[in-house]
Amino acid sequence: MTAEYSHLDMLEAESIHIFREAAAQFRRPVLMYSIGKDSTVLLHLARKAFWPQKPPFPLLHIDTTWKFRDMIEFRDKTVRDFGLDLIVYTNEDGVRRGVNPYDYAPSTYTDVMKTQALKQALDKYGFDAAFGGARRDEESSRAKERVFSFRSAGHRWDPRRQRPEMWNLLNGRLGAGETVRVFPLSNWTERDVWRYILREKLDVVPLYFAARRPTIERNGQLLVVDDDRLPLQKGEVPKMKSVRFRTLGCWPLTAAVPSTAADLESVVEETLGARTSERQGRLIDHDQAGAMERKKQEGYF
Amino acid sequence: MTALTAIRREDLAPAFSQELNGILHLLTCGSVDDGKSTLIGRLLWDASDLYDDQRETINRSSNAATGGAHPDFSLLLDGLVAEREQGITIDIAWRYFDTATRRFVIIDSPGHEQYTRNMASGASHADVAIMLVDARHGVKRQTRRHAAILDIVGVKRVILAVNKMDLVDWSQEKFRAIEADFRELTLRFGFREATTIPVSAVGGDNVARKSEHMPWYTGPHLLEYLERIPSRDTTARGPFRLPVQTVLRDGVDFRGLAGTVASGCISVGDRVTDALSGQSAHVLRIATMGRDLEIAEQGQAVALQLDSDIDVARGAVISASDSLPTVAARIEGRIVWLWETPFDPGNSYLLRTSTDLAPISTLAITSLLDLETLAAEPADTCSVNDIALATITLGRPVAIDAFPDNAPTGIFLIIDALTGASVAGGVISSATQGEGEGASAFRLTRELLERGLCRDLGDSDEDRREFQRRANEAALLLHAAGIPVKIEI
Repeated sequence: MTAEYSHLDMLEAESIHIFREAAAQFRRPVLMYSIGKDSTVLLHLARKAFWPQKPPFPLLHIDTTWKFRDMIEFRDKTVRDFGLDLIVYTNEDGVRRGVNPYDYAPSTYTDVMKTQALKQALDKYGFDAAFGGARRDEESSRAKERVFSFRSAGHRWDPRRQRPEMWNLLNGRLGAGETVRVFPLSNWTERDVWRYILREKLDVVPLYFAARRPTIERNGQLLVVDDDRLPLQKGEVPKMKSVRFRTLGCWPLTAAVPSTAADLESVVEETLGARTSERQGRLIDHDQAGAMERKKQEGYF
Repeated sequence: MTALTAIRREDLAPAFSQELNGILHLLTCGSVDDGKSTLIGRLLWDASDLYDDQRETINRSSNAATGGAHPDFSLLLDGLVAEREQGITIDIAWRYFDTATRRFVIIDSPGHEQYTRNMASGASHADVAIMLVDARHGVKRQTRRHAAILDIVGVKRVILAVNKMDLVDWSQEKFRAIEADFRELTLRFGFREATTIPVSAVGGDNVARKSEHMPWYTGPHLLEYLERIPSRDTTARGPFRLPVQTVLRDGVDFRGLAGTVASGCISVGDRVTDALSGQSAHVLRIATMGRDLEIAEQGQAVALQLDSDIDVARGAVISASDSLPTVAARIEGRIVWLWETPFDPGNSYLLRTSTDLAPISTLAITSLLDLETLAAEPADTCSVNDIALATITLGRPVAIDAFPDNAPTGIFLIIDALTGASVAGGVISSATQGEGEGASAFRLTRELLERGLCRDLGDSDEDRREFQRRANEAALLLHAAGIPVKIEI
């Protein structure tokens, strides 16, 4: 192996291997596309894995209806540019009941609009495998996640039923009622994702770049007001500030960071030198200790 | 090579924008009592790019737990809530950290004997293993067990970290005795490199900086040693093997055999052979999205276009024509039983190689390996955490190598046909050329399948895959009914 074969080359090859193993073994896979930087890398790797064919599976976006407008625009452009199949799914029952990210606890909101929605979509289309962009470095319960993560009927994740994975042999034979989540980015870190975006010159949602945006401060976190649906509390007046996002989600639940990094190079530089991990900016994770593990058992990624 | 003890993030930052020189996969094994979590936590704390909020969390939690005497480094390792409550690690956890030049992946595996399977699966991913012992107790039964497992799955480099040297007054004598025991132990195995390092994880002695307490030790500290190890074995290249994962087409004239180079390397123009069908061709293109390659080496994911359209699909192993794998239907192997349900001779199993999946006609356990004496005790069954010798007869031949000859294509999984579970992982000791079942076996032929079960299938890649799948399933059903089957398609 030559010295030019860097750790990113190794990670890329591993991810391509995983994509090909899954596509060859599952009957109806789907790629969970959440529009963020990890999804961008995931999609790029999927395109590489099957080139010159298009990826042999559709993209699925779970739309909570609270995504930033820039995200939706980026999603539609990406699908158009690469000629991909996109399925957008929303839990309409949740919308009817008015489940939103400010009247409901983040855990309830996430359960209804993301977890339940995802399960409904997987069932509706009969997908037996879903690619996700989760990484083991994100959170301690994910540190033990498999590349092929099996879900029993009802999409439940049971730590005791997970299959040991040896060498690079990925066993995709499903038992009755089982489905699987596939994580091609398992061994990537946040820094790798950015390094790779820079190296491959990938387009990302503009929200990752600093710009002057209308912000309010709530519970010590900076929120960017993306439309007029979030009721402002007393004394809250949106102020224009130069901010960007390290991670993207539903806008009332995603904190921005003050930054002047307005292009890819400076964002990467800022990220690589960052002193706090990206989950600091995700409000749902601070809900309760072990929150992610519980969410996962319930079927969230 | 410089020690990284006092390295500051500011010094590391410029290097982070670079791509790192490879990845080193590091397995840690030992029991909770040996201070394993503390050792790894200490390594992360002293040498890595931990985020501030992670450091803060540790400091906060430690204050509650230890009254703030020192950070509880083990908190960096402990994962699932269920495990924290039990106070033990029951699964493998993956951790990532970067020094200025190198990505490290720590595979943290549980130490208890009942988790041999977790350790074996963790070890199968490792370039090097750190085995941990308590300086007060030295090499134990468990150390022998661990060494045996590492050897079986093919780990070539091992480090014995003799921890808690502070509790034996930094005694050179104690250390040398343990070192000698370990040397004797490792000589029984096929390790390429075995070394012993005295450490104190709590104090950070010889973890990421040289200890002041043990001037008699002149060797490298742990991190120093790890940074010297080549991240990829450049010497052991092996013959070219590319197990075909899938076939890619552009709808015009491109037909690419897609896969990851398992061993060796390949150049444009090289002659290759599919051992299963015996067909040969030359490599016309080594394609990837964006650019074609002149040469592809071990680990690279590519698509090979050949100069003649040989008829191969997933499961084939494209190989150097002058060094072919064995086309075998009978395999002797060493297996680790991974699943809670014990081996059941009445059950149907499948053999999974790199990308092939073949029905097993007979799976016979011949003996169990006593990991302490390394003696094989005759046995005809095995259960979870057992290491067994097995003889496997297949319903149809697969292309494989013996593990000692070429490890990447000398490995397999045994899969429960009904539940899909990976019940065992194994390495091939020897493979016998030729057909599996004898003349008495029922011949499940292409003609027979085309007549009914596969009548609806055509000639597309997808249909061929489906044909293969149905043939496998039919063989499994016949096998379950007690009829020996030989697939001839």
